[in-house]
Amino acid sequence: MKEEHDMTDSEQLVQRFVDQELSAEERLQFVARLGRDEALRQRAMDLERLVLDVRRLPRPEVPAGFTARVLERTEPRRSMWRRLAETLWAPRALEWNLASAAAAACLVVFAFGAAIAGALSWQRSAPQPGTVSASAAGAPVLVRLVVLQPGARTVQAAGDFNGWNPHRTPLEQVSNGAWMVTIPLEPGRYEYMFVVDGQQWIADPFALEQSEDGFGSRNAVLEVRAPSESRS
Amino acid sequence: MPGDEAALVQAARRGDREAFGTLVSRHARSIVSVTTRMLGPGADAEDVAQDTFVAAFRALPGFRLDSKFSTWLYRIAINKCTDSLRARRPEVQSLDDDGRDDDSRAPIEPATEETPDWELERVELAWELDKAIEALPRLYRESFVLRHIEDLGYDEMSAILGVHRDTLKMRVYKARMLLCRSLAHLGGVR
Repeated sequence: MKEEHDMTDSEQLVQRFVDQELSAEERLQFVARLGRDEALRQRAMDLERLVLDVRRLPRPEVPAGFTARVLERTEPRRSMWRRLAETLWAPRALEWNLASAAAAACLVVFAFGAAIAGALSWQRSAPQPGTVSASAAGAPVLVRLVVLQPGARTVQAAGDFNGWNPHRTPLEQVSNGAWMVTIPLEPGRYEYMFVVDGQQWIADPFALEQSEDGFGSRNAVLEVRAPSESRS
Repeated sequence: MPGDEAALVQAARRGDREAFGTLVSRHARSIVSVTTRMLGPGADAEDVAQDTFVAAFRALPGFRLDSKFSTWLYRIAINKCTDSLRARRPEVQSLDDDGRDDDSRAPIEPATEETPDWELERVELAWELDKAIEALPRLYRESFVLRHIEDLGYDEMSAILGVHRDTLKMRVYKARMLLCRSLAHLGGVR
């Protein structure tokens, strides 16, 4: 089988782009190269489309009763005599006396106490509602978000800049598969994602930085600097 | 491994079947997904998914708690799929062969007059894509399924399959290329 170093430079670049393994600098170079190299752009779009189509495949449903069937198969086998003995010796009447009632009551009180304690500790550990920070000082900077989504019918952006409401920032398809929007942003740090066809949330593959969103996905991070900072 | 998962695994190792049931419910979706993509939809995929969990239950005493339970389950599932595929027929196609399997799969649901065009296209694409993935050579298919359907990284895939990550990258690359080629005729639909 061919090893990775046998791939052409372009092939390696596209594969690493699809695997999101390009460094920030490499990503910038890659974007610039996409603009010049039509074949590379087509290859990148084909692969991006494939990955997106695969993500949209419906996940097979777990058949009803699956766990029960597995557990049934892990049940220890008992001999016929043992099963008979268990049937013969199984208690038939519910015995009740003052001591067992007192023990049951203790258990109920303990369980209730534990539930209350659990609820209180949950409340203590729950995050407090966030406070809205004052917007960073400085004039808005025009920021262009671009993403390749060849098979998409709509693409929107949702993030800190629009209250995570994708309807406020739709992207326009500027050429076959390339979507773009230009938004004015005040200097600061913003997290965002793209929403494809109203349901598929994806991180920006061109983002220079990404961060965990706490729900198992990654948000793209955009650092907007004031023009004076950028020059320095 | 998350704390509660480690506790469940510990309990299951001591024979606690209720704890094991929780682990089965938690991981059933991923394992059924892998077996279905590897073997095609149907009874085989469910049987092999069940076999995976039964084998895991029996092998639990030997499970090392410092590794991820899901990684271990994936490894068992892939091995079970390989056994099942070998039992079906010898794999004679070469790794570069993109030969298609037969069409012995569940039929596409019939369209109704109300079904919008884009929905029909989506169903047709899913059908073609499923078929193309199923037709990939086994080694490419397992790498592609773990990478793009289960969304695993190359390091975890390497732990599951026992293959160097560069080799896996190459297999995923080949699989992507074969799939792009297989789906090229859908250009208009996609």
